[in-house]
Amino acid sequence: MIGTVVGAVLAGGLGAIAVGGVLSAGRRSFAAGIGVQTAGAAAVAVAGFWVLLAGLRLGKAFGPGYTFDAGVPGPPDLRWGVDGLSGLFLAALGLVACAALPFSRRYLADDGRGRASAALTALFLLVLALVLLARDPFTFLFGWEAMSLVPAAVILVNRRADATSRRTVFTYLAVTHLAGVATWVAVLLAARSGVLAGAPIATGSGLQVAIALTALFGMGTKAGVMPLHVWLPRAHPMAPAPVSALMSGVMIKVAVYGLVRVLVDWLGVLPSWIGVLVLAAGGFSALGGVTYALFQHELKRLLALHSIENIGIILLGLGACLVLRSAGAGTWAAIALAASLLHTLNHAVFKALLFLGAGAVERATGTLHLDRLGGLLRRMPWTGATFGIAAMAIAGLPPLNGFASEWVTLQALLRLAGLAGWGAGSGGGSGGVGEGVAGVLGLAALAATAGLAVACFVKVVGLVLLGPPRGRLADRDVREAPASMVAPMVLLAGACVVLGAVPGLLLRPLAALAPWPVDDAPLVGPAGVALRLPSTGSLPTLALAAVLLTVTAGLLLARGGGRRRAAPAPSWACGQVVGPELNWTGAGFTKPLRLVLESVLRPSRQVVVRAEGGVVTGVSYHGHVPALIDEQVYRPVARTSVALAARARRLQTGSLGTYVGYLIALIVVLLGLARTGVLG
Amino acid sequence: MTAVRLVGAAVQLVGGLLLAPLLPGLVQHLKARLQGRRGPSPLQPYRELRRLWGKSTVDVEGTSAVYRLAPAVAAAAVLAAVLVVPPTAAVAGWGVGHDVLAVAGLLALARFAVAAAAWDTANGFALMGASRDLMIAVFVEATLVLALAVAALSAGSTDLTSIIAATAGIRPWAGPLLPLGAAAFGLVVLAETGRQPVDNPDTHLELTMIHEGPLLEYAGRDLAYLQWAAAARHWVVLVLAAGVFLPHPAQPWAQLALLPVLLAALCAGLAVAETLVAKMRILRVPRFLAAGALMAGLGITARLAGLA
Repeated sequence: MIGTVVGAVLAGGLGAIAVGGVLSAGRRSFAAGIGVQTAGAAAVAVAGFWVLLAGLRLGKAFGPGYTFDAGVPGPPDLRWGVDGLSGLFLAALGLVACAALPFSRRYLADDGRGRASAALTALFLLVLALVLLARDPFTFLFGWEAMSLVPAAVILVNRRADATSRRTVFTYLAVTHLAGVATWVAVLLAARSGVLAGAPIATGSGLQVAIALTALFGMGTKAGVMPLHVWLPRAHPMAPAPVSALMSGVMIKVAVYGLVRVLVDWLGVLPSWIGVLVLAAGGFSALGGVTYALFQHELKRLLALHSIENIGIILLGLGACLVLRSAGAGTWAAIALAASLLHTLNHAVFKALLFLGAGAVERATGTLHLDRLGGLLRRMPWTGATFGIAAMAIAGLPPLNGFASEWVTLQALLRLAGLAGWGAGSGGGSGGVGEGVAGVLGLAALAATAGLAVACFVKVVGLVLLGPPRGRLADRDVREAPASMVAPMVLLAGACVVLGAVPGLLLRPLAALAPWPVDDAPLVGPAGVALRLPSTGSLPTLALAAVLLTVTAGLLLARGGGRRRAAPAPSWACGQVVGPELNWTGAGFTKPLRLVLESVLRPSRQVVVRAEGGVVTGVSYHGHVPALIDEQVYRPVARTSVALAARARRLQTGSLGTYVGYLIALIVVLLGLARTGVLG
Repeated sequence: MTAVRLVGAAVQLVGGLLLAPLLPGLVQHLKARLQGRRGPSPLQPYRELRRLWGKSTVDVEGTSAVYRLAPAVAAAAVLAAVLVVPPTAAVAGWGVGHDVLAVAGLLALARFAVAAAAWDTANGFALMGASRDLMIAVFVEATLVLALAVAALSAGSTDLTSIIAATAGIRPWAGPLLPLGAAAFGLVVLAETGRQPVDNPDTHLELTMIHEGPLLEYAGRDLAYLQWAAAARHWVVLVLAAGVFLPHPAQPWAQLALLPVLLAALCAGLAVAETLVAKMRILRVPRFLAAGALMAGLGITARLAGLA
């Protein structure tokens, strides 16, 4: 009964998105179409959370996609269904879309390109949902490929297919499709061997390892895992802000869905080295993503690099889950899975908010260059406040949601280190030294990542929201975004606060998604809204938030309670008048870290001093932190492939005679082979 | 048993709130004595807090709400950390749990607030200090989490009350794990309290400031909050050091009784370190802290390999 209702809500929501998409392509019905799409997205979010929290399974289970009738494949058997895992990602999709769609009504120009973008956004949402709802390999792979193509179309439509966007889209499609091959291999192998439909698979068998590695490569590329990430910081910033929010907030999460589906759901117990490999990829992505983000000057590109970092954190949780499971520590493996999925949802929320904020900032100021912004908190209070909340959430600061999921991930990694030496407190199971060391390294990587993320988002908040307006911004009339753009941002900021205050409500349903039997006695108890896990000091998120808020409020009241009023004064610069030339830049703020990481990052730096007759008339500075993986790995590969292609082209002369010659040569060779008996 | 739990909770709050300023005062006093000066009284921080309480705050021109919020947020975050870190193994909780990893998050929140305020004032010296502080914080956090992992793994839990109970007595000190973790934590203490060789709390030269830099623009009660937060940060890390990384008795009453002695010994240790060691070049600090991370990692690896 309840299943029918939820199924109807879900189907209705998806139908509304489709109808809204068609409507929003019309000149008169643009606004109405976006409204219908928003309502549909809200229904999808409700249905997704419902499925997750009630632990429902609707529709069919996974099937191989075709039936054999006496050895002859019959007609394709296309299946649909939804379970808790799909429900979580549908919820994230609905929630992000619920904010991104109304935001786009004023953000997208009401012209042909804007309407086309709105219609394509609906299509994008539908193919994302298609991947989540697919229960056979064909539907899944169709959705998977369409999910890559639709944003490419949005970018090209929106940027009038200029040279930069064509180049970016080419890189994006080339990388995702080359790696997409691995996804096909993984899914089709899983379908053929029957593991997709629930057949058991031996731990460490060649087939299992092959499926796991190809899935990790193919889906990891789509998720933006380093070093397969090169397309992500190029493509995400090119799309209009609401679509960037969907790409970073949902699309790469759907790739995470694929990984979880394959590695956790289908493949049974994996050998622990695959878990360690996932951990290594996660640690590398987390550290690499945040380090390169630190030295970015363009806001949306910086945010895209942070997506790589957060995917890394998600993979750290997933890797911990796989290793713990192979060690037999079922409870903690389920908690690690829950940590990973909780961070997935949290990241979807705050990253979408950050992209929407960036869109509002760009619309108001005309630039996304960090060193040309500043002082926007006073001029755009709503955008500024919500953007600040998202920045604190992504930096992993209590009491917001990023901290809650990073805390659970840290705990899971610690359990990994505890497996070898400390059987007690790990919920059973045993592991080797290698896994323990991997856990310790993951722990250190996550801690350092959190530190770097704080530094990076202090920089972002400082440069965008605080201080005096920089560059030409001071003379520009900057207005707060209209209410239809502010309301979605407030919604997502509220979600950051709520998910940070009551993560305990989601943790148990998420841990229950583990397909192995979980002793959830430690998780039941008086769990409530707080994070109470076995053998931890527990994180009463709501109480912590209450303490922080009341103490802050009390201190603020006491601050103003003195007899003397606050005295206005200029900023202190050793007696100099503080002018715009004393403003700090992002490059200056991150300089200590750049110097410390010099041997890893190999930054270039050029200072030119112009002097006339011994008097310095000007100094120009140019600094650059190169993307080493792009330059050292991808560029040589691309260059070699282009060179080889050029050589292969010599075969294609275009003259008919040559091609006839090729054919004759081929026939002669084949005849010769047949004659000598090689062909049998 | 309930009496000691209530007394422990009282010591936690009263000590963190009221006795914390005594710790930096004591360090300054002992350091002056070691250097052959008379120096200020250990009660000097209280006098300064009282003086600041009566003075007016300063609103820097062109700042936003962040500048006014930051001192309160920083103080609130450190107070929450005080409420998380218990002085004994048996203590009535303040409702915020006793998780050791939560402490790292709360200290990061205080750091974020102060650094954001530095951007708001657009003061070059404040930003210089904040940027250095955040650079050091990256390495502090990694080392801190590894040192705390040593403690957590000794106890099989991240609950500080279990950790204090599990590290009591002499036996945990037999293997290399806890001594190596203690050495790593010692470096974290130097960095978190802003002591030499990482930072110089006595400097009056803006260019060399780290923790003091972002405080330059503040006055009155704002500055009082920030100075109290710095003192309470001493309390948090030194109580952690005394409860986990120094040999301590297993009895809760004995732990409470010994706490002042251990805290005084740690303050003396900081004074001696400040007297003996000169401030190091800022770019060498990461290597210094990475050494701590390596020590903690080595301890854990040795334990995993069954060597201890």
